[in-house]
Amino acid sequence: MVGARDLDASKMAALGSLLAGVIHDIGTPVGAILSNNQVVLRALDKLKDALAAPQPDVAAALKRLEILRSLAEVDRLACSRIGALVRSLKTFARADDVDASDADLNAELAETVRLVQAGFGKRIAIQTEFGEIPLVHCWVRRLHLVFLNLLVNAGQAIEGEGKIVIRTARDGDRVIISISDSGHGISPENQAKLFSTAFTTKPSGVGTGLGLMIVREVVADLHGGALRVESEMGKGTTFHVSLPLRQKSTE
Amino acid sequence: MNKNPTVVVVDDEDMVLTSVRAFLSLETEYEIQTFLEPERAVEFLRNNLAEVIVSDYLMPGMTGIQFLARARELQPEAPRVLLTGHADKQSAIEAINQVGLFHYLEKPWDNEQLLLIVNNAIERASLFRELKEKIAELSTANSSLKAVQARLLKAFL
Repeated sequence: MVGARDLDASKMAALGSLLAGVIHDIGTPVGAILSNNQVVLRALDKLKDALAAPQPDVAAALKRLEILRSLAEVDRLACSRIGALVRSLKTFARADDVDASDADLNAELAETVRLVQAGFGKRIAIQTEFGEIPLVHCWVRRLHLVFLNLLVNAGQAIEGEGKIVIRTARDGDRVIISISDSGHGISPENQAKLFSTAFTTKPSGVGTGLGLMIVREVVADLHGGALRVESEMGKGTTFHVSLPLRQKSTE
Repeated sequence: MNKNPTVVVVDDEDMVLTSVRAFLSLETEYEIQTFLEPERAVEFLRNNLAEVIVSDYLMPGMTGIQFLARARELQPEAPRVLLTGHADKQSAIEAINQVGLFHYLEKPWDNEQLLLIVNNAIERASLFRELKEKIAELSTANSSLKAVQARLLKAFL
């Protein structure tokens, strides 16, 4: 059984690998806002000049107003970008959930995707193909960790540019979440060891070997779900996570 | 030249394009053409003259270096400026020689510096084009002189 400390270690390792990209994605809009602030002050000065002249220059004033409006629009966009990233980060900062609750897994996945996309930058395109799925009774914060680990793994499996596709679908009284990457694939012998403790092929400092063990424990042991992996060397890997809609023990 | 100089800016971030456009149209009379996709900018440069071309480095579909190489083929006399994030610095520097970069500017950029670079680039482009015109005039003059000389030789020898 993995303890709280292992959960934390795995979460921190996964988040840490995304940090540089997330900082960049917060830095860009902050830079835009700061730069716009200078331009706003200059535009206001020039607006005043146009209006305070003995013959007010209406055309010039209107042009400056238009510039001010476009800057306000950029600032709004920049703030909402920063806000969305901070919201995603918060998802992972919260304490662990004690009780299971009903969750919209498409929305929860989207939250994780936002963070992971910021972490990967433009190197990797993440595509979501969400099907219509009902609410799932689950420990949603633990599942966030599952999504985070699988997505970070997918990204690390891709050298250079590549693509990750996330699909969700209902399958009777279960939902299936599939995460496919265009990475280097997993050899058959490594597939067998995939979910065991402390197994990693990643260099020290990149992988803890805990990630997939936690994924298995959260999906199979905690939720009574199942995990399946399909992989072809040089082509990519797909992880299928199957979760029951309801939890017997908590109903 | 009777037309206002044209500045082409390419970046896949709308925020960057709007900020640059707002700043330059506040401070100058230049015509600012912005593009989210480098392919569109290539199309524009095929049909329109530009005095300076500013491009981001990391964009989907085409890198800034690939784009600027295309721009150089189409309009060699328009100076090229790379505007890039810190993380891309190494690859950007390696590529500078490939496209004959006029300037390299790091994000977040300083507006005053951007203005200075754009002004210098425009001046350079106009000088280049003027020079090209003069050379063309000289070679026309030269060939008509040669024709006159040939006729003179024919007449007197």
